[in-house]
Amino acid sequence: MFVAFASCAGAQHLISLDDIPDSRIKSVVVEFTSTIREAKKGTAELVVLAFLEDESCHGYELTQLIEARSGGALTFNFASLYATLYKLEERKWIQGRWVEKPGQRRRRYYTITAHGRDVLAAQRKEWRRFFELIRDLAGVTYA
Amino acid sequence: MRDRELRQWRALVRDRADREWRALSSDVVDELACHLADLHGSALAVGASDDEARRRALDVLNAASFLELSKRPRARRFPGGHMHDIRLAVRQLRATPIVTVVAVLSLALGIGANTAMFSIVDSLVLRALPVRQPGRLAIVSDDGHRAYWMTYPIWSDIQSRHLFENAFAWSTARFNLAERGETEFVDGIWTSAGIFDTLGIAPILGRGFTDADDRRGGGPDGPIAVISYSFWQRRFGGAADTVGRRLTLERIPFTIVGIMPPDFFGPDVGRRFDVAIPLGAEPLVRGKETFLDGPWTWWLAIMGRLKPPQSIETATASFRGVLPQIRAATLPPNASPETWASNLKDTFTLIPAANGDSGLRARYQRPLIAMMIVVALVLLIACANIANLLLARAAARVHEMSIRRALGASPWRLARQLLVESLVLSTAGALLGWLVARWGSQLLVRELSTQTNTVFLDLSLDWRVLGFTATVTVATALLFGIAPAFRSSKVEPIDALKEHGSASARGTSTAMRIFAVRINLAGSLVVAQVALSVVLVVAAGLFVRTFSKLATLPLGFDRDRLLVVTVDMQRAPIDAVTQSLRPAQRVPTLERALESVRRLPGVRGAGLSLLTPVSDGGWNGRFEVPGGVPLTDRERRAYRNMVSPGWFATFGTLILAGRDFAETDRAGAPPVAIVNEAFARHFLNGASPVGRTVRQAARAPGEFAPAGFEIIGLAADAIYKSVRDPVPPTVYTSIFQPGGPPFASLRLTVRAAIGPPALLSRSVAAAMTAVNPDFALTFRTMSDSIDASLTQERVVAMLSGFFGGLALLLAGLGLYGVTAYAVARRRTEIGIRMALGAAPGGVVRLVLTRVVLLIAAGIALGAGLGAWAAQFVASLLYGLEPRDPATLAAAAITLAATGTLAGWLPARRAARIDPAAALRES
Repeated sequence: MFVAFASCAGAQHLISLDDIPDSRIKSVVVEFTSTIREAKKGTAELVVLAFLEDESCHGYELTQLIEARSGGALTFNFASLYATLYKLEERKWIQGRWVEKPGQRRRRYYTITAHGRDVLAAQRKEWRRFFELIRDLAGVTYA
Repeated sequence: MRDRELRQWRALVRDRADREWRALSSDVVDELACHLADLHGSALAVGASDDEARRRALDVLNAASFLELSKRPRARRFPGGHMHDIRLAVRQLRATPIVTVVAVLSLALGIGANTAMFSIVDSLVLRALPVRQPGRLAIVSDDGHRAYWMTYPIWSDIQSRHLFENAFAWSTARFNLAERGETEFVDGIWTSAGIFDTLGIAPILGRGFTDADDRRGGGPDGPIAVISYSFWQRRFGGAADTVGRRLTLERIPFTIVGIMPPDFFGPDVGRRFDVAIPLGAEPLVRGKETFLDGPWTWWLAIMGRLKPPQSIETATASFRGVLPQIRAATLPPNASPETWASNLKDTFTLIPAANGDSGLRARYQRPLIAMMIVVALVLLIACANIANLLLARAAARVHEMSIRRALGASPWRLARQLLVESLVLSTAGALLGWLVARWGSQLLVRELSTQTNTVFLDLSLDWRVLGFTATVTVATALLFGIAPAFRSSKVEPIDALKEHGSASARGTSTAMRIFAVRINLAGSLVVAQVALSVVLVVAAGLFVRTFSKLATLPLGFDRDRLLVVTVDMQRAPIDAVTQSLRPAQRVPTLERALESVRRLPGVRGAGLSLLTPVSDGGWNGRFEVPGGVPLTDRERRAYRNMVSPGWFATFGTLILAGRDFAETDRAGAPPVAIVNEAFARHFLNGASPVGRTVRQAARAPGEFAPAGFEIIGLAADAIYKSVRDPVPPTVYTSIFQPGGPPFASLRLTVRAAIGPPALLSRSVAAAMTAVNPDFALTFRTMSDSIDASLTQERVVAMLSGFFGGLALLLAGLGLYGVTAYAVARRRTEIGIRMALGAAPGGVVRLVLTRVVLLIAAGIALGAGLGAWAAQFVASLLYGLEPRDPATLAAAAITLAATGTLAGWLPARRAARIDPAAALRES
């Protein structure tokens, strides 16, 4: 089993878990997995904010949009999507409101708040810096 | 349509969350339901079938985890300072753990019992059916409380007149799932096709019934059934392909066409249907004996949705307007004038059916109200106890309070602090009580169920139960918290200094004033507690004695070691044409089975009968004995049963005169009958009936069948339908002689020679299926049937006994606490008295005198209260006067003994005080 790390010299480097003392393996794996999980969570929030930047959407619409624009590569678990939306709402980055449009059932539409826009801008900047760093360190580029 | 669909998705989301033990806010449920409905709609839009679309949405729901959603934080902020009060209260309560634990436990029991009772009352009496606009539903009734059962011809006529926007007729039933041998029943309903449209409920999978399905003999899809959500989960594990599968009911394969939403249990409250079958399929099950043709078979309840803007009064008026036409169209031409007069009387009325129809409600409403009062009294006693505890603590905290006053706290601030403590205490009690309630209400519902009647009540949370518990919690806190809070707010800052002054100064301090007031208030609380406990112990005594009288009543037969086998021969194919056992062949076939059962080892005797005591059925008619007592037509009513030779011996019922039926009393021989003592008393003024003739009345009043039965024996009185009812006049005829109603099931009763009769089930089943493998057999011991018939009395006795005992315990604890506190306060005084030569006996008397006075006052008050209140439960008693002196005396003695013991323990401790030590401490 191998885990990929970026070495400080900039070149991609593979470390065999066999090279690491047993006591360290668990903590390395846990650390690595939790980093990925955190990154994923952060990404989900970023994606939701980005989709709400231009227009208000309800939950189902959002899943359809994300799925369509990512060509099916990115899908949200039904419950996780709403968990993310509620979290963002708690932080006051977005605001949900029940709207009943003529001929349609009542739905909860989410709109990005001014604070949410600031956060989105800051996060974009952060991610951009991160990818630049990765590019410089690992030679990985992103589209 | 859209609303109904959303409601279904909401119910599914809630059910899913419940199964994960997650609580979701209603906003979240709404939003998730909306999402699933959109998913379903999109799938339909791209061409998926309805089932496929639902399945896709269900898959998404099933794959979700609600862990993160249930944690959705909500903004909550306590008004300034209250959080601090709560923290302080928790700290105070933790400082006196024993007091807190006793208080919380008694509150948990009190609030829990109240919530449990209320949640049952809520689901049985208050809660509306989970259907569309339940307020627009009505049922046809003649007494203004329950549905009146109609015949199928009457239902067909009502349906054709379009009196309602939509209507349906239904009848509860139990369907046998077993393909052969011993039965396995499931609760079901026969229903006309309009049920789901009338109620505004659509299946979550598949379809409901159409008019075509309701055609006699089954619709284009053959015999079909709709099943409940819980049955779907239980039997099919919630498999998505259940629709279309086969289900054997009453030995006939039915096709499942739909699955109902999880919260839908049918039109009956107190019962849940698992399988619904269209009325049209009934002839497939009952064959020639179908109820659909029976002008005398009253079995269908009718529910309709009022046409807008019709009110229930105008709908009743239009229903009554067409009654004469319905009567003319549905009564057979040979009906007697009496039947014409009594059938479909003008007293028929439509009653609101928002809460459904319920036999359980009719039966348990009074006992439930009685139990609600009982548990309310228990809570009051618990409150009195806690008030006493808190008063004691308030007196002990005078120093702390006065210091806080000296530091600038306002009297209101101190009172608020104590009230918050009370609220924290009652909230802790309520939270624990909630668990007690969940457990208690479920246990109670289980206790109400019997082998043949599974009680189902929707005990899920609703705003009424939550509101009730919240109100009880706050009211309880105020009840026991207001007196200590009020007293503490009266503390003066100067008391802090006085408390640390000399012993003489203490005499004038607030602490002493509070102590003095406390003693008076505590005394009154103890009197109230004892009085309420007397009421509860009297109630417990009355109910327990009622049950024990009924349970030990002579039945007229020996109930032990009897196994009753109900043999259903409906689907026992003997006749190649009708595919069922011809009625004429049923008795001979059963006789063969009887013979083989009698030969089994361990069987002492066996007999056949049409009915057995306390079974669900009864058969009555009007009789006359020529030369007997002249009676009016109504007074001629007597019950009837058909039995085989040896049946009386099997039951252990004595033949007091004449003889039992003999093997020779068969078709062709002169018709014979045996009557019971009640019959001889009623029809012959107690003269011997043997040798006389009894004739059954014809349909028209005053006319009797020319051929009668010769009475050959007098049987001892034995109960017929109910243990509670007096033994009715009963006529037994031979089952081997013609003249009975058409029947598809008979009872075979077996007496075991030794040991529990249920152990014979296997060998009896084997012997009977060897005679005919298609018999459907249901086994039940006679003891079990009799116990089940006394369920109401048993449950009431059990509950009142438990709460009576609890009240006694709480009253004892209260008295003990008050006396122990008084002894502790008077330690120095007692020490001085003893130093001056008082004997230990004198000290015990000193302490006990006050206790005895309090108890005596309580008992006097309680006995008066109990005697007055008992009249309201008179209808629930059996063989007892509501003011039964023995019960009142026993309650008074029990309370006196418990109270004296509770007072004697601290008194004995007082007598052992070492005077020197007591004086040193002071």
